[in-house]
Amino acid sequence: MSFELFRPRSLDDALALLARHQDAHVMAGATALVLLMRQGLVRPDRVVSLRDAGLGGIRREPDGSLWMGATTTIRDAETSDAVRSHSAALAATFGDVATLRVRCQATVGGNLAHADPAQDPPPMLIALGAEVEIARAGGARRSMAVEAFLVDQFTTALDPGELLVGVRVPAVPPGTRATYVKFLPKTADDYATVSVAAAVRMDGERIADARIALGSVGATAVRARRTEDALRGATVRAIGDAAALVRDEIAPIDDLRGTSAYKREMARVWTERAVRSLVA
Amino acid sequence: MRLEHAVRVAASRERTWALLMDVPAVARCVPGAEEVTAVGPDRYKGAVRVGLGPIRLRLEGEVTVTQQDAGAGQATMRLDATDRAVGGAVRAELRVQVAEADGGTEVRLVTDATLAGRIGDLGQPLIKRQADRIVSELARCLERTLGS
Amino acid sequence: MGRHRIRIELNGTTRELAVEADRLLLDVLRGELGLTGTKEGCRIGICGVCTVLVDGRPMSSCLYPAVLADGAAVRTIEGIARDGELTPLQRAFIEQGGFQCGICTPGQIVSATALLEAHPRPTDDDIRQWMLGNLCRCTGYFGIVRAIRSSRGAPPPSTPGQAAQ
Repeated sequence: MSFELFRPRSLDDALALLARHQDAHVMAGATALVLLMRQGLVRPDRVVSLRDAGLGGIRREPDGSLWMGATTTIRDAETSDAVRSHSAALAATFGDVATLRVRCQATVGGNLAHADPAQDPPPMLIALGAEVEIARAGGARRSMAVEAFLVDQFTTALDPGELLVGVRVPAVPPGTRATYVKFLPKTADDYATVSVAAAVRMDGERIADARIALGSVGATAVRARRTEDALRGATVRAIGDAAALVRDEIAPIDDLRGTSAYKREMARVWTERAVRSLVA
Repeated sequence: MRLEHAVRVAASRERTWALLMDVPAVARCVPGAEEVTAVGPDRYKGAVRVGLGPIRLRLEGEVTVTQQDAGAGQATMRLDATDRAVGGAVRAELRVQVAEADGGTEVRLVTDATLAGRIGDLGQPLIKRQADRIVSELARCLERTLGS
Repeated sequence: MGRHRIRIELNGTTRELAVEADRLLLDVLRGELGLTGTKEGCRIGICGVCTVLVDGRPMSSCLYPAVLADGAAVRTIEGIARDGELTPLQRAFIEQGGFQCGICTPGQIVSATALLEAHPRPTDDDIRQWMLGNLCRCTGYFGIVRAIRSSRGAPPPSTPGQAAQ
């Protein structure tokens, strides 16, 4: 059952390995990979560990954006002063992930690359307009919005040989208030039944901008564009009706956390509550 | 797990029926399918590669046309496949119904699938989404092949 | 497939071993290293009985590939007491009824030790948030929280040989 393990000590070495072994699995925190291997669902021949490839680090960039390297642990992101001052809601979202032990081991990049539809960070990253940076051997880099990166359940836009190297969260426009609401009717360490990330900016009595994304309601985190459009330029009186639009934008499935119908209704309820909490 | 799909194609009922009963041709419309060959009357064997993120399955097995009624435009096929590496099995019954509609043909597909072993452990909801995608793509491909 | 040499500082002592790539830290601790204080429970990272500290951070050793511990300081329940002297937290677990069957206790103590080292005076909320991933089927958690609460502010021995106050 064992596999060939590579422990590259630089990004270039890691990329060269992925270019040569396109079937290799990538390991950062390893939580997802170990669980899949335990269940017998994944049997890698080759694994590339990113632990020593120099992909950590959190920093504020000159343009005011926040950079988190792919192997930054969720815990480090949660407790980082740089992340907290950039967006307290983003830091709190990282803190909502599972348990402390998972957060100490799992990574920001690994979380995104795993693309589980029920994860917490993706909706908040989408609401903040975050982008991922992708590298391949030969120096080529490309960026894309997180919402475009998450293509399907457990499927990202990474091509063979490519690696997610970091996440960039743009400077948050002044006056923006953001929140992440995780509906957890079962246990505190669970995935959300539904979750809502919202970032809203007021201009006097009107909502100048709104970005809303939901988790656990589809094959990927879902951007609620119709709800956003209904909120933009409107007053707080529009919130109830705008939140109701979310029901048609999501595609939740029946599972042990609830039926599709239940989740649709909960998505509406929690979207309304989330937005109201930001304009109060 | 039940999946239901319907597509409208611009071909005649006869041409549509002929394609649907040509299992190797239909297999070419299944994303990830490897070559399907006949092993007996109305029996075929082949394999299909299915992925769910890091999980990569190769389902090997047989498709048997267990019942067909050209006059009624209705057939039933049984699929039995396993992934030896992961250790799991898929058994599915596909019921196909064709009917004339608006100068073309409507094809209805009802798939009843059971998953056993580790594949079943994955969780029916996740697999349903993936299976839905595969059958949707199959239906779209049939549409393209027959012209719509 | 070959073994990988790793070096860990285990409960204060440097150890070198060769492990296979798919070997988990829990199994290396209980197997090759003979430290059975860390328990095997759900094996999917949820229950917390396998909690160890890697560079001071609580980890589920059942999900932690041993190779990832290369170069790190690993602390298990066996490394909490110093020269046989229980820490104030460990004594509090005894005095405050922090365990019944005891199976979750090593994980509880390891997690709580990390909490008190990071936050010597945690609020009850801090305690519950930090400890929420360590499940207990016996105590209802009251004794555990009491034990941690009563250890607030008590300095644990910081060097081997220094008796707990």
